[in-house]
Amino acid sequence: MKHGFREPWSIVAWFLAPALLGLALFRLAPIAIALVGGFTGTRLTGETVWVGLRNYRRLVEDPSFWNAVEVTLLYNLIVNPLQIVISFALALLVLRPTPLVPFFRAAYMAPMTVSLSLTSILWAILLEPTMGPVNGLLRSLGLPPQPFWRSEDQALATLIGVASWKGVGYWMVFLLAGLLLVPKELHEAAMIDGAGAAACFRWVTLPLMRRPLAFVLVADTAANFLLFAPVYLITQGGPNGATALLMFEAYQAAFTYLDKGRALAISSVILLVIGVLALLELRFLRERGG
Amino acid sequence: MTRLTRRAGLAGAAATGALASLRSRAAHAATKLQVIWMGWPEGQVKPLMDSFRAAAPEVELQVETIPFVQIFQTLEVRLGARTPDPDIFICDSPLTASYAARGHLLDLTPHLDASRFTKSAIEAASWQGKIYSAPFGSSCPVLFYNKKLLREAGIEPPPADVEKRWTWERLVEAARKLSKPEENRWGFSFEQQERPYMLLPLAQSLGGVALSPDGFKAKGYVDGPAFLEAYSFMQKLYTEWKVSPQGLFDPNLPVEQFGNGKIAMLVAGTFNEATIKTKYPDIELGVAPFPRFEKGKAVTPTGAWHIGVNPRTRNRKEALAFIDHFMSHDLQVLWFELRPYPPVLKSVWEKEAKRFETDMWRIVRYELEHTAVPRPATPGFREYEDILRTALRDITTGADVKATLTAAAQKIDRELEKYKG
Repeated sequence: MKHGFREPWSIVAWFLAPALLGLALFRLAPIAIALVGGFTGTRLTGETVWVGLRNYRRLVEDPSFWNAVEVTLLYNLIVNPLQIVISFALALLVLRPTPLVPFFRAAYMAPMTVSLSLTSILWAILLEPTMGPVNGLLRSLGLPPQPFWRSEDQALATLIGVASWKGVGYWMVFLLAGLLLVPKELHEAAMIDGAGAAACFRWVTLPLMRRPLAFVLVADTAANFLLFAPVYLITQGGPNGATALLMFEAYQAAFTYLDKGRALAISSVILLVIGVLALLELRFLRERGG
Repeated sequence: MTRLTRRAGLAGAAATGALASLRSRAAHAATKLQVIWMGWPEGQVKPLMDSFRAAAPEVELQVETIPFVQIFQTLEVRLGARTPDPDIFICDSPLTASYAARGHLLDLTPHLDASRFTKSAIEAASWQGKIYSAPFGSSCPVLFYNKKLLREAGIEPPPADVEKRWTWERLVEAARKLSKPEENRWGFSFEQQERPYMLLPLAQSLGGVALSPDGFKAKGYVDGPAFLEAYSFMQKLYTEWKVSPQGLFDPNLPVEQFGNGKIAMLVAGTFNEATIKTKYPDIELGVAPFPRFEKGKAVTPTGAWHIGVNPRTRNRKEALAFIDHFMSHDLQVLWFELRPYPPVLKSVWEKEAKRFETDMWRIVRYELEHTAVPRPATPGFREYEDILRTALRDITTGADVKATLTAAAQKIDRELEKYKG
């Protein structure tokens, strides 16, 4: 004990070492490999060679890359605010301890327990246009069946829907935890001062939720930028590039086009975009806090 | 008495234990061969592997079977690491050039007696004049049909005579009578709705050529007039005439739907005959040749699974013994019995002639000799296949045919660039 007190930093270092080592090994090293690898190419015979900016030059000239950038940005522009609004609303709904609340909390969180690949397969079957049960239901209600995954106009929206089905329960948990930490006394004080429910929410709850919201926004954005399984398993980026997210482009570059340099260059672009967006999001939520 | 027995028993147990440990040590010392194999049903894989195990007990075989939809990616990862693992892998014949150009295949020319194999099999195994993969099967799709459904719809079935084969136009006419999309009943489907393997012959029937003769240019070929016409026709199967169910990209699904009587006619590989007969014994199965276009010629796909040896293997002798065993007459007969792909050994066709006296095999034999066109020989086949596959997939769901093929040709050319010079 005494020894420990004399050298607290070494103890801290020892306790942190495993986590830091993991961080370096599983996070920083791959990032470094991707950043450096983006400037390399692979010869047919397997040797890696330095190619400078060639991978990036080719990306810039490639219409399918720009399509993927467009689709990825559009997807994220819609899916992130949507998921946050829904998960915040769900968190508010299950905040008050009424009798059935534990059931609803569990129900909203249930999709969390299903893996993303299983979710994809499940929804691929449910929304299968010819034989899927959802269209069967629509037909029996006298409504026209929908093409879902198979239409250029609906595929991205369907993807957003499925990703949100899986995601909102998860993010709800973080927001619910945040809401439970908002002191009741503040609400009571505001009510006594004559604030209605809306004013309470706007001036008490929301400002105090800035930190959990910032975390959820940044983490959700990162998760959605890295979405891959449903695209790979269901649409393969189609129809006609409608769901070609950048992650899938990176995968294709590596495993279909056998071009590791291109894959790593795309990964680096994704990292850069996520980094910039995360900074913007954090700043947005901080400034307003004053 | 009791004590003695117990002691004897103990001694026995100790001896067995010692023996077991000896044996496990022996097993440990044995040469290990890592094999990556196609994810066919276990009953079609294990007997082959067991046959090798019996022939070469000193070799320990470790077989990984990978599903069709993942096998090419898996092989890319494993071979891309450029280690001795796997020693042996199943190799789609048109990828022979791709693997060979990148140093993933051992030159088997000095090892294989080419004269034992059919000409088309050796062609599919060769790249720049050398044999890089050991032919293990060939392929030839035929037109299967459900006799009962055709009879009920008053349709005269397609003749088995290759000279009188149906045209695609005739097929669509019949398929329209057989289809009721709202009841999930369909006149026709391809087994592989998106795979160039099965769909290239449509364009080739109209005079299309898959790739420039040097194997490096798709522009002017993949987006040429024959491709445009053939795949516009194909698109109408799904979007205009609605005779084919959309989106059944997993090849098992159309076969299953055919077996359940939801699809009346199916263009599919010969090996499905056995599957359909065992899994759906009630189907009255008819067989006819692969159709052609009215103004076109008959063209059929071919090529299939070969076996490759990793040039980095540390167990070359055992790996070549594996190849020898799998190229033996007896094993190829066993393989044919398990999964009837058209054989690649001349001796199987000759000595087993009786098996090939059915309509289906008469058709197949004719096609392999007269109409079969192998897929283009290019080191970039992996990229070619996947880009064209995605394009065909999009076309079935209604994408603009010309724009899709033009974009595909551009992409293919971009990717083939790396193999030049």
